This record gives sequence, C-alpha cells and structure tokens, in this order.
Amino acid sequence: MKAVCWHGKHDIRVDKVSDPEIVNPRDVIVKVALTGICGSDLHLYNGKIPTMKPGDILGHEFVGEIVELGSAVTNLQRGDRVVVPFPISCGDCWYCKQGLWSLCDNSNPNSFLLEKMYGDTGAGIYGYSHLYGGYSGGQAEYVRVPYADVGLVKILPELSYEQVLFLTDIFPTGYQAAENCSIKPGDTVAVWGCGPVGLMAMKSATQLGAANVIGIDRFPDRLEKARANCNAEVINYEQADVAETLHNLTGGRGPDACIDAVGMEAQGTGLEAAYDNVKQTLRLENERPIALRQLIRACRKGGTISIPGVYSGFVDKMPMGAVFAKGLTIKTGQTHVHRYVRHLMQLIQLGEIDTTFIITHRMALEEAPGGYRLFNEKRDGCIKIVLNPKLQAGASA
Amino acid sequence: MEATQTRPMGGKQKEINVGRTERNASMVGGAALALSGLTTIAKRRLLPGLAMMAAGGMLMYRGKTGHCDIYESIGLDTGGSEDHGLTVEKFLTVNRLPQDVYEFWRHLENLPSFMRHLASVEVTGERTSHWKAAGPGGISVEWDAEIVEDYPGQLIQWHSVGDAEIPNEGLVEFREAPGGRGTEVKVTIRYYPPGGAAGKIAAKVAHALNAMEIEEDLKRLKQILETGETATAARSNGHH
Ligand SMILES: NC(=O)c1ccc[n+]([C@@H]2O[C@H](COP(=O)([O-])OP(=O)(O)OC[C@H]3O[C@@H](n4cnc5c(N)ncnc54)[C@H](O)[C@@H]3O)[C@@H](O)[C@H]2O)c1
Ligand SMILES: [Zn+2]
Ligand SMILES: [Zn+2]
Repeated sequence: MKAVCWHGKHDIRVDKVSDPEIVNPRDVIVKVALTGICGSDLHLYNGKIPTMKPGDILGHEFVGEIVELGSAVTNLQRGDRVVVPFPISCGDCWYCKQGLWSLCDNSNPNSFLLEKMYGDTGAGIYGYSHLYGGYSGGQAEYVRVPYADVGLVKILPELSYEQVLFLTDIFPTGYQAAENCSIKPGDTVAVWGCGPVGLMAMKSATQLGAANVIGIDRFPDRLEKARANCNAEVINYEQADVAETLHNLTGGRGPDACIDAVGMEAQGTGLEAAYDNVKQTLRLENERPIALRQLIRACRKGGTISIPGVYSGFVDKMPMGAVFAKGLTIKTGQTHVHRYVRHLMQLIQLGEIDTTFIITHRMALEEAPGGYRLFNEKRDGCIKIVLNPKLQAGASA
Repeated sequence: MEATQTRPMGGKQKEINVGRTERNASMVGGAALALSGLTTIAKRRLLPGLAMMAAGGMLMYRGKTGHCDIYESIGLDTGGSEDHGLTVEKFLTVNRLPQDVYEFWRHLENLPSFMRHLASVEVTGERTSHWKAAGPGGISVEWDAEIVEDYPGQLIQWHSVGDAEIPNEGLVEFREAPGGRGTEVKVTIRYYPPGGAAGKIAAKVAHALNAMEIEEDLKRLKQILETGETATAARSNGHH
C-alpha cells in the first residue's frame, strides 16, 4: 500500500509499504477514506519530537471503512464506516475507566521511554513517534487499529466522511480546551492561534456559552475565518499589542479564560522571540513559549489557562509569579477524544456545528510532501489539508 | 512493609514477616533474566533520540554540573550487593481484584505469557515446577522450583531447588489498592550469580537490565489481565 512516511526533518515521502495485518484479537483493519494533516504533525515535520525513525508512517486523523476484524471484536462489522480517535486506548485500565482516555496505562508498548522522561506514560498515538508507542499512522491506505471494540464510533449514515473527519482529533481537542475553561455566562474567551485547533476551540466556546470570543494570529486569512465563521473579534499580534488590546476589549479585566492553541512553535516579534529562537536553535530550550507567556499575562485574576497546544520538554522564563499572584488555574493534556465523539457527532448531525469550513486543500496521498511544506509555511491560504487515498495526484481541488 | 501481618491459611493462623523479603527472600525468575535483558533494549535503538530531549533544562544542567540525568536514569538502578545475591524489586497496580491476579500468577504455566525470558513453566506437583528460560543465541537454562509460601489472594513465594546454575528466588505480593484502584503487585526477584570477578561484573550488568525486564514483564501481566492482550505496534504477525 501507499503511505506517507517520515524520513527526517522536512523530509516526507510517499513509500510503498506492506499492508497491515490483524495482530491482536481486538484489532481491526481500517481502509482509510480521508486523513488530515494536523498541526501536531508539523512538530514531527520540524524535528521537534524525538524518537522518530526513517520510514515511520505519519498521521493520526483518519476515518474509513472496516475491512477486517480480529476475533474479539463483536460489536462492529466489515463495511462499517468509523471514526478513529487519535489516542489508542484500552478501555479497561483505571484511567480509561475514569474517562482519561489519553492517559491509558496499557496502549503504549514503549511506556518506559515516557516514564523516564515524564515520570509516567500516556496512551499510544498513531504515527506520533516511538515515545508514543511507534504505531503506524493513518496517512496511508490501510491502518491497523487496536482496541477497536472500545475505540471506534460508527458514523451516522446521513453524515459524510468529510463532515466527521475532525471528530478524530481537532474538534474534540477544541471542545475539551473550551470545556477546560469552565465557561460561565458573560465570559470572554481569548484563543491564541487561529489554526484548526484554535478555530474549533472558538466554535466550542460559543457552543458552551461564552459571551465573547477573541482570536489571535497573524495570518489575515485565518483571522478572517475566526471572524466570519466563529463570530470572533480578532487581533493581529503583529499589528497590535495583544495584552493591551485584550485588556481594552474586556473593560480592563482581561479575558476570563485563555486558550493556547499554538503550542511549542509559537512565533513572536521583538527581543523576546529572538531570545527563544536562539535558545531553541541551540537546544537549550525545547519550546518557544511566547504565546503561553502572553496568555498568563493577559488572563484575568482567578481565570483559567487552557493549553491544547503541544509542549514536549522544558520551557524557559515561565511567569510562575503571575500564575501565583493572579491565582490562575492551568489545564492541559492530550485530548480524551473518546469522551466526546458521540456527543459532537450529534451536534454535527443537528447542524449546530459544521467543521468543514476549515478545509482549504484536498489532496491525493502522493501530494502529502508538498502539503506538509505548504501547511508548515502557511502559504496559499492553507489552514487544513485533507488527504484522500482515492484521489489521483494532480486531480486535487 | 516492615509490619508483621497475620494471614489465615488452611484454617490455621500463620505469622509471616513480609518485610524480611529484602534480606531472605527466595527466588527465581531472575536467573534467566540474566540471559535476555540486553537485546530488548538494544533492539529498540531509541536512546539516542532521547538525548534530544535533554535539550533545554537538562542540557543546561549538564553544562553546569557535568552530569546528565537522562542517560543516568535510562541506565537503570544498578544497586545491590553481590554477596547476598542481586535483588530486583518492582511495584505495579493492576485494575483487577487481588484474588484474580493471584490466581493468574499461581497458575504458573501462565508466567511465560508475560515473562519474556521464560520459554515454559511446567507444573510437576502441588508445589513443584520445572522452569525453562531461553536467552539470545540459543542459550537456555532449566531448573526446578518449589513454592515455599502460598497465601491465596496475598502472596506466593518460591525458590529454585537442587543445583540450579543460577540459584534464584522470588516473591510476589498482592494488596488491594485503595478506592477501587485494583491490586498493588509487588515483585521481588533475587538471584545468586556464579562466582568469580567476571561473573560478578556480568551479573551487575545483567541486574541493571533485569530491573527493566521485570518491569516490562509486570506491564505485560497488567495488559493481559486488564485488556486480554499485550500491546504492540507491530503491523504484521511476522516481524516487529
Ligand atoms: N492536545 C491535543 O490533544 C492536541 C490535538 C491536536 C493538536 N494539538 C496542538 O494544537 C496546536 C495547534 O494545532 P493546529 O492544527 O491548529 O496548528 P497550526 O500550526 O495550523 O496553527 C497554529 C497557529 O498558531 C499561530 N501562532 C503562532 N505563534 C503565535 C502567537 N505567538 N500568538 C498567536 N498565534 C500564534 C500560527 O500563526 C498558526 O495559525 C499544535 O501545537 C498542535 O500540536 C494538540
Ligand atoms: Zn492532531
Ligand atoms: Zn486504558
């Protein structure tokens, strides 16, 4: 089969590899219908996540059809159209039972690595380095899906693959980020990053009752999506002082909750950005926590900092003093996707939320290398790329 | 674990001192562990990638102190006195009742399903069994073992008997975790490596790896009991 493989920093190739097989009784094989390139994949593309090996198959956002079932999977059938949550979760451990699916104890065969780094492991993730289990990803024609009996959700017949693709990751991620804000009537939620995750967080914040939503980015097309599709006020951080603008937009209080939908590769302006760039280049710091520092500064007293953006190591110059002095609450982590799929699919079915507005590019698998470049450089108005294994290269829209 | 506990068994009350495991535990699986450990870790070839992770804080720390915690932490614990055998002790919580975990373990034939170094365990009597371990390059070791303590739902203690090449002993304890969190499993494995300086050095190396092997074994036990299978990223049945 064809698969999108990582070969090194900025080196993505489409390789011919062997088809996956059923290995464990609870596995199924999914024939991929659509698969997304995620902002998280860019961290791999840019070499920010260690333990990738040449030839690793990328991708953790995919939907498709079941073509083969392991002996223990009795609640699904061949031909079922399914959503596959990106965390691989067993459903049986204490964490899964608590609904903390992305913290699954059992699904990461390389758990010892994360244990050494962080003190404990998280769930395995498709196509997301050997730290997260070394599982082959979804940017391929077929994928082996473990623990399918608890992970997969059947797609309602009236919904298309495109309508539900983002239930695999970014919609639940935006939703959890908003849920973590404990939104109360009258609340203003500010979202750093108007990429797919940020846009989903804005939609979700409104859905959960936020009175005002503010989006922050520097790309006019992304800011426009936030304004037009998510009903957000927008701030271009290259043209305005973010903290001051937020202050003014909230009557001097600051946003009640701030969402970091940027993560460890935040861009910035001025001296502070230069400082983080140099340190990150010299590997004295893993992350450029530019947005995160701003969130903490801007948030109102007693407010909440919600961090769906990915961080993987150490950050420098964190304003803990401000966190303490203002009594902020910080919530973060990989998304417990399983918790949300059914509920959010219902919202889509009812027409309350449409997530397809973020798609800017539909491509063939073969075109993935160019797609990664485009998405990374945010050129050509690129916000979200969806790969379709059935499309022929060159015929894409 | 220094407390003396009273445990009922077969109608009789029997006093045992769990805390003494450190000093006079019994033992087994460890022996063969000496044979296998390294390959698993070497095969994964992931340690260099982790050095990257040392970026930021860690690198700076190393710069200042000439010391890198990441490599050290991956090197695993190498403590243990050779004179009294080498001891590995590991804890893990399994989301199942103590009795269930006990029963799975007490059915010794199950051990090779999660103890990677074991090829087979054959039960030869009420308390006796025959163990075969396979190491890299076709090396194999066999020995007879005997259960010396058996408290259903609480603990199993065993040791090798006769002239085992690497005498060994083991103790596994099961304790109910608070608030419905399942069973806290504690495993203590001790083995007595062959003499001589070379033997001791080899044993030390093996010991470090064994700690990791046993931890991985326990995780597989947990996976089997909780999920009914062992986690793998393999894409096919032939190769990994
Ligand atoms: N927690 C999870 O489970 C989870 C799931 C999916 C994605 N993520 C993470 O969410 C983050 C965003 O993902 P995405 O797909 O939207 O990526 P993306 O790269 O498309 O979007 C990031 C956006 O942040 C903007 N940005 C950069 N620096 C900024 C700054 N200083 N202030 C404001 N905006 C800034 C960029 O211009 C870009 O538009 C990534 O870190 C990704 O790894 C986390
Ligand atoms: Zn993602
Ligand atoms: Zn689990």
